[in-house]
Amino acid sequence: MNNKIEIPDLMIYAMASEIKNFETVLHGVSSPLPVLAMSVARKTHAPDMAYISGAEGVDPEVDRIYPSSFDARMNRNAVAYFGLHEAFDLAQRGELNVMFLGAAQIDRYGNTNLSVIGDIDQPKVQLPGGAASAFLMPITPKVVIWITRHSKRVFVDEVDFVTGQGYNNRAEAYKKNELVVISSLGVMNFKNSDRVMQIQSYHPGHTLDEIKENTGFDLMVAPDVAETPAPSKEIIDLIHNIDPDGVRWTEFR
Amino acid sequence: MKKVLTSLDEAARLVRDGDLVTTGGATFHRAPMEFVRELVRQGKKNLSLVDREPAMDFDLLIGAGCVAKIRAGMLAFEGLGLAPNFRKKSEAREIITKEGACQPIIAGFRAAAMGLPSLPVKGMLGSDLLDISEEIGGYKQVEDPFTGEKMIAVRAIQPDLAVIHVQKADEYGNVRIEGPVYEDVIKAKAAKTVVVTAEELIPNSEFRKMPEATTLPHFIVDAVVEAPKGAYPGSCFNYYDVDYDHIKEYLRVAAKGQFKEYLDKYVYWRETNE
Repeated sequence: MNNKIEIPDLMIYAMASEIKNFETVLHGVSSPLPVLAMSVARKTHAPDMAYISGAEGVDPEVDRIYPSSFDARMNRNAVAYFGLHEAFDLAQRGELNVMFLGAAQIDRYGNTNLSVIGDIDQPKVQLPGGAASAFLMPITPKVVIWITRHSKRVFVDEVDFVTGQGYNNRAEAYKKNELVVISSLGVMNFKNSDRVMQIQSYHPGHTLDEIKENTGFDLMVAPDVAETPAPSKEIIDLIHNIDPDGVRWTEFR
Repeated sequence: MKKVLTSLDEAARLVRDGDLVTTGGATFHRAPMEFVRELVRQGKKNLSLVDREPAMDFDLLIGAGCVAKIRAGMLAFEGLGLAPNFRKKSEAREIITKEGACQPIIAGFRAAAMGLPSLPVKGMLGSDLLDISEEIGGYKQVEDPFTGEKMIAVRAIQPDLAVIHVQKADEYGNVRIEGPVYEDVIKAKAAKTVVVTAEELIPNSEFRKMPEATTLPHFIVDAVVEAPKGAYPGSCFNYYDVDYDHIKEYLRVAAKGQFKEYLDKYVYWRETNE
């Protein structure tokens, strides 16, 4: 590796790696990284995945991404339209395998906040809202949370408001569902008996200590912790070809 | 069939101050922007707005002082930024924000469309959103009478008015939506009054040639308005794409605290030019 791999590319590849072939996967609003991850997965290891776009296209050929993740130009060559309300019904039936969601704050149990900073009735910052988070987080077999700024302001001891449910706020039946957090520094999951966040991998160029120092609670470390696999040049080219305008960078600024 | 073709001005008069209104489309796509601009020109007050994922349509109405209350799953300008007027007025408590979530809001519309008082959804349990009490699409925990499964019942959301921008309509209110439909059919069936703004009016005979392409039949729709570029600066599939530069200008002007200038330039100009 002579050139340093850029963080968005590492994150997109890690997110794509969470998708298995033949799975049904959905992305929502404001989701450039998930769109790119789903496109990479479909063009590499998961050619038979069912790709449901938030723009409502099924299995589209995404040849370019835009500031809006619902831009209908991303439905090119789609085989069908499938509305978000239909995708949510699929989730209720347990047939939506993977969903990507964001978080302004997250805690050790995986509770996410996308609603307000401060008090809900007297917010210091009014955030955009959780969209489908509270509905999909507990019931979806795998939810991948992407966080572009791994810091103590995001990884907090306690979220100001529980928008999406972590493991301590779930009914027993939903504790088996998987939650993966992919940040600018590493990949975290909850694969331990206490269902608390642990480091599964650290991105190339970053360290376990750096992740811990930038997290507002004690992070466990998975026994098989390793470096996050880096994407090949072909995959990086694929990402850059779909996103020549650098839309993927907007969340990092 | 009754002719329901009318002017933008007349159609917007169907909205009364204090009404509960929903808009078609999703974020910047096929939102009824020209109708929204007309609501601003008519100086509507105290509207309650509800939708799954609105964007500039809601933010413009908030910025123009038309809104008292918001219920949405998410209100932002996607990758372009936060919704500036929503954020400012919500933080100043000049509007009441009662965050919903996508599927429950849709369930509220579906209940109203089906003539039911409520509809249950899965998920939601354990989220603090359940504590945000609200008469529009409010939540209550229920048990399924057959399986005992705990779910959230969502109270029906019956908007006073739904306004939907579409590609094609006839003078009777038959509607053809091209491309993504979003929840527009559900919203139209849920609302007491339905206004359709259309890029193009086409003859009734065109609908009869291909009834399977009709998205809404005439008896659902109360008013049709011809509104070319009616979703601008958002997109209208098969007609035009989003004008991202315009939306960036909106955000720039709002960030400088000069939103009135945007309204003068893009909303009120029509009044002064006529």
